[in-house]
Amino acid sequence: MNLNKELPEVVITPSRFKNPIGKYRLHRTNECIECGKCLEVCPYDVHFKIGRVRTKNHYRCVGPECPNPCYEACPVEALSLKRNPTFDTMGDFRWTPDLLVSTWYMAETGAVPPKGLEYRIGDSGGGFDRLRLILPPPHRTKLAMPDEEVHVGLELNRRNDSFPKIMIDVPFYGAGMSYGSVSIITMLSRVRAAAALGTFSCTGEGGYPDELKPYDDHVITQVATGLFGVSEETIQRVRIVEFKYAQGAKPGLGGHLLGDKVTPAVARMREAVVGYPLFSPFPFHSVYSVEDHKKHVDWIKAINPNALISVKVSTPTDVDMVAIGSYYAGAHIIHLDGSYGGTGAAPDIAKKNIAMPIEYAVPIVHKSLQKEGVRDKITLIASGGIRTPHDAAKIIALGADGVCTGTAELVALECIRCHNCESGRGCARGIATTDPALMRLIDLNWGTQRIINLFMAWRKELIRILKRLGMKSIGELVGRTDCLVHLDYMNK
Amino acid sequence: MKKHQIIQNIIGSRKLLSNNFPLRNYYKKEGEGGCGVTGFASSIPVRGKHIFEPSRQMHNRGNGLGGGIASMGFDPGMLGVSKDTLEDDYMLQIAVREQGVMEDLEKRFIRPCFKIDFSEIIPHVEDFRDIPGLTIRPPDIWRYFVRVKPQVLKEFMEKSNLLQLTKRQAEDEFVFQNSFRINKTYYDAYGSQSAFVISHGRNFFILKIVGYAEQVVQYYKLENFKAHIWIAHQRYPTKGRVWHPAGAHPFIGLNEALVHNGDFANYHSVVEYLGQRNIYPLFLTDTEVSVLLFDLYSRTYGYPLEYVIEALAPTMERDFDQLSPEKQQIYRAIQTTHIHGSPDGPWFFIIARNDTENRRFQLIGITDTSMLRPQVFALHDGEVQVGLICSEKQAIDATLKSLADEDSRIGTVADRYWNARGGSHTDGGAFIFNLDETPSSPFERKLTCVDKFGKPITVPQGQAPYIPDSAQSMAEDRNGKRFDISRFFNNQQSGLLYEYVKKGIKDWDYGALLECLGQIKSCALKNNANFEVSLTALTKLLDLSYPTHDKKRRSILQMTNETLTSMFRHFPYLEGGKNGIYRLIDWETRQLLREPIKNEKVMIIDASLFPPEGDNSDSRLMTEAFHRGWKRFIVFGLKGQRFHGCGLGPGSVGVRIDIYGSSGDYLGSGIDGLSIYVHGNTQDQVGQIMKSGKIIIYGDTGQTFLYGAKGGEVYVMGNAAGRPLINAVGKPRVVINGTCLDYLAESFMAGDPLDGGGFVILNGIEFDDYGQVQPQPVPYPGSNLFSLASGGAIYIRDPFLHVDEEQLNGGEIVNLEDKDWKLILPILKENERLFGISVEKDLLTVNGKRMSPLKTYRKVRPKQMGIDQSD
Repeated sequence: MNLNKELPEVVITPSRFKNPIGKYRLHRTNECIECGKCLEVCPYDVHFKIGRVRTKNHYRCVGPECPNPCYEACPVEALSLKRNPTFDTMGDFRWTPDLLVSTWYMAETGAVPPKGLEYRIGDSGGGFDRLRLILPPPHRTKLAMPDEEVHVGLELNRRNDSFPKIMIDVPFYGAGMSYGSVSIITMLSRVRAAAALGTFSCTGEGGYPDELKPYDDHVITQVATGLFGVSEETIQRVRIVEFKYAQGAKPGLGGHLLGDKVTPAVARMREAVVGYPLFSPFPFHSVYSVEDHKKHVDWIKAINPNALISVKVSTPTDVDMVAIGSYYAGAHIIHLDGSYGGTGAAPDIAKKNIAMPIEYAVPIVHKSLQKEGVRDKITLIASGGIRTPHDAAKIIALGADGVCTGTAELVALECIRCHNCESGRGCARGIATTDPALMRLIDLNWGTQRIINLFMAWRKELIRILKRLGMKSIGELVGRTDCLVHLDYMNK
Repeated sequence: MKKHQIIQNIIGSRKLLSNNFPLRNYYKKEGEGGCGVTGFASSIPVRGKHIFEPSRQMHNRGNGLGGGIASMGFDPGMLGVSKDTLEDDYMLQIAVREQGVMEDLEKRFIRPCFKIDFSEIIPHVEDFRDIPGLTIRPPDIWRYFVRVKPQVLKEFMEKSNLLQLTKRQAEDEFVFQNSFRINKTYYDAYGSQSAFVISHGRNFFILKIVGYAEQVVQYYKLENFKAHIWIAHQRYPTKGRVWHPAGAHPFIGLNEALVHNGDFANYHSVVEYLGQRNIYPLFLTDTEVSVLLFDLYSRTYGYPLEYVIEALAPTMERDFDQLSPEKQQIYRAIQTTHIHGSPDGPWFFIIARNDTENRRFQLIGITDTSMLRPQVFALHDGEVQVGLICSEKQAIDATLKSLADEDSRIGTVADRYWNARGGSHTDGGAFIFNLDETPSSPFERKLTCVDKFGKPITVPQGQAPYIPDSAQSMAEDRNGKRFDISRFFNNQQSGLLYEYVKKGIKDWDYGALLECLGQIKSCALKNNANFEVSLTALTKLLDLSYPTHDKKRRSILQMTNETLTSMFRHFPYLEGGKNGIYRLIDWETRQLLREPIKNEKVMIIDASLFPPEGDNSDSRLMTEAFHRGWKRFIVFGLKGQRFHGCGLGPGSVGVRIDIYGSSGDYLGSGIDGLSIYVHGNTQDQVGQIMKSGKIIIYGDTGQTFLYGAKGGEVYVMGNAAGRPLINAVGKPRVVINGTCLDYLAESFMAGDPLDGGGFVILNGIEFDDYGQVQPQPVPYPGSNLFSLASGGAIYIRDPFLHVDEEQLNGGEIVNLEDKDWKLILPILKENERLFGISVEKDLLTVNGKRMSPLKTYRKVRPKQMGIDQSD
């Protein structure tokens, strides 16, 4: 096992906007005598001097937690700290402004924010936000162990069948987002980052654009209910094929791309009609039962006998049965998609009311696979609201082997969770759009590096967590519910 | 006393059953997917070994964790009882999982109330491990032929307030309730599971094991056991470990056994509905509640079969509107009362029923209103009549083959194959094979087939079948007289050879026909050119429709198939360096696969022994051969093998595959360039995501045909089942000469047909028994046409304007224009070339009058959305 695979370099990649949004603002009054004291004391390069002393990088300010506050150091009290009102208008309870800004920070610097931001949990009042990792005190852990000795890679094929082994170097890969729901630049940024990290990114169901061809070895192509853009050629190109039976954000509903987003390029890719909405049926009309599913898997195996099979399902109450059935039908990966995920395009009523929360589903499936005696023969991937490396660690401790990321990557590209992904021509920030003009808001190299940085930060943080837990590989954490506590059930 | 009072009394009498019964707030049923189901009814009793092969064919619809069979209508001698005992007694069978439990069970539930006429532990193979693959010991079956003691029955009737029932009805109810008590005591899905009643009806039994259905036949030594009706089920429980077969199908009501393929979405609601009628499930599968519903409707409510079916699979939407007002009134009442018990979701039932009151056995197939499960019906008429119902067609063919091998009066091809249209006003989605007693022989029954509404399914009368032995002796009587066919070979006139044989069908007897086919075969084997001529001519005999006069079409097909098969088998294998274009490969010689050398061109694959899917399947072999340079394939001997043409990838232009036999699911799904000719019916999922190329089907096709297709040209001679072309995009061009069940071209997005986009031509015709083209009653019977479609068009042959706006959801019907006709005419010409369906004489002639195409065809296209598409 090569634990020292070359990792991509973190390159500081600041926001593409002139004034990035931060949590705090520093106000400088006319009293300022340009003594440079603030520059001197600030540990975060918030102030600088080109000609005059100015405050530029407000977003880097950590606020009251600053060990060396400039506003206290200022001899003339020209500086005052305020919370940035724009900051508080962003996001929602699940993706709090703190999480958004700390994800941006990771995408810029490749490290978790030093202070001032809650980067581990959101404020939803449930789910991962009520779970805590129990980390032993630092002195009792293996913190001294070099990072290189902690293994966070994940083998995706554990069946010992005739299919190839595929090891990913980080315990996560990119979830499906279709061409049409996001721009080609977004897709490419994701897949190039995945290639750099030695992992995968999924096409979603909107076809397999030729631009992705150079990265075929790091692409998972999706066979979803609409079968848009799915052909033998695309299935034969890849090393992993994912069946999307349902999406946790909207189980029982098919994909739905509104007419406005069906631009000529999207229509060409999906071979549909410009300007008309595109529906995917809610089920596969060819699959109504587990033996149909087996036939379905056999079909893809007949087209590409070397591709691993991933089965993505949402989390209904009988999810354990679905998972076991999928295993026996020949799947290598069971991908459980819980209800916290989904972009703004998924209807709220579906996102908030249908599927079982992922932190309930994963232990059920983990345990029933164990009971069945097949847990070590299948890779269990969880997704749906995995926002932070801490979420990832928690769901792995609950029984998953790895996770899929989606929204976090969009946030790395400076998504502000405005929830308007589906409307008009899509995203005002040029991420979830098909409009050529909006798309150009993102530079491909910038986007790629931002996602690389984010994932490097995740990787580093996961290693730190493992070391704190005294573990040498991510596999040791799987199913270790004793490493977790739920605040609702904590002994007072 | 009024009828409803009697019903209430019966239901009331069951109230006692639920005493001390642990009522659950929520019923979680056992995890189970769909399954494989098969069944047949024969006018003479046939051996159990004939359910063996069709069961084996459907292995891939089960997983070996539950198999069961039911058989009905026996020869009393085989069971060691008299005819009267067999017919009058209840055949109570207890499956015993824990030794020693029977003493107590007999003492409490059998001896006190029943007069036992005969009892035994049924014979089985000594050691279950002698049957390969069987890992869990099947239960011992204790069989009792019983009648309820008169005094016990009298008390029961008095106590339960059932004096209005006939004695027999009351006895039925007693047996039913007694079995519930036995199960309640000795079997609990959550607790002790020491014994359970496996069946208790008259003149039929059920057996089930943890294993495959055919292992039931082996274990209980039923190979030579004869019965009129056999049904079998391969279960696919999603739970990996199953220890006992109580959850396997079939399940009993009273005098019926039911197998089921599917999965209810509303199990809980059905259980509640039954609970309101004092019926409680014990085995927690949706199959159990299905048969309890059937028994409730038929025995408790006393509904005729038609109403039972309506209660299970209600007639909906447009189909409801098409019913007569009287029917509507009754059906509405049934739906109002029973809709909560109506199973929702995908399901398909096969039921073996002993209709004791009418002294009739029935084999019934019922499909759900949405037609979400595969199903095929077939009728074989002749001296021996057979009715068949299966999940997949190859199971039907396997049954007939097995039967024909034993009894030459049975052919290998059925007279008719068809699908049911669930919850429809046309056939009601259900067909019933009745076996009625005949005066001539106690062992022979008459088989008739009707749909839900009682409309009979018939075959042409006055046609004799081919009986191999007698045809052989007729042929010998001809003293070797030759047929003048060499001229067709000398001049390469396959068309004339076909015409010659076609004429011969009229003029000759079966002996001559057999001789002629034999002579064609020997000519064919002389050289490659001759083979080409014979193959083309014989394939036409299989593919096309023509009058068969005094002979049965199925017999012509059987003889042609046999001739073709023996011709194919005659070619050399890949070893050695023989000359010639054709090479044969089969299961034994598959390792010899290599690239074509010299002038080798055509690979003939004998698929008969290949598994239906996986690394060793014949479709994978074909892909491998393609990558080694082979471009022409003939596949024969198919028994439902899947995925033909899949995996060749792009760049397969110029490849041609000819398919003979029962092809399987996903045929041509994904093809990009190649052509596939299917000489017969196809099954489900044909041509999914097809990108380019050609598929020609000389028969019908199944569910979700061309789902997500992107392009290509496809011609179907017959009908398509449900959901053809759903989510198709791009530019597929398709002709369906028959019709489809429902949901044609849902979410169709195939651009503008007049500007390179795709379309479907639906002709709505069929061939009558004389090979003549006839319009179907309506070109499109379904309630949903072109729903949510945003592109493409359907050109529908509808001179009498049967299709109306009510069937549309987002589409509009417009008149055909010249440019449309110009677009579709070349496609229809190709259709004419392939199937002999003439544009002028068949399609544009309406009631004998030549019509303008603009008046014959109509166009369904998407409603304009008023979106500016220019940017």
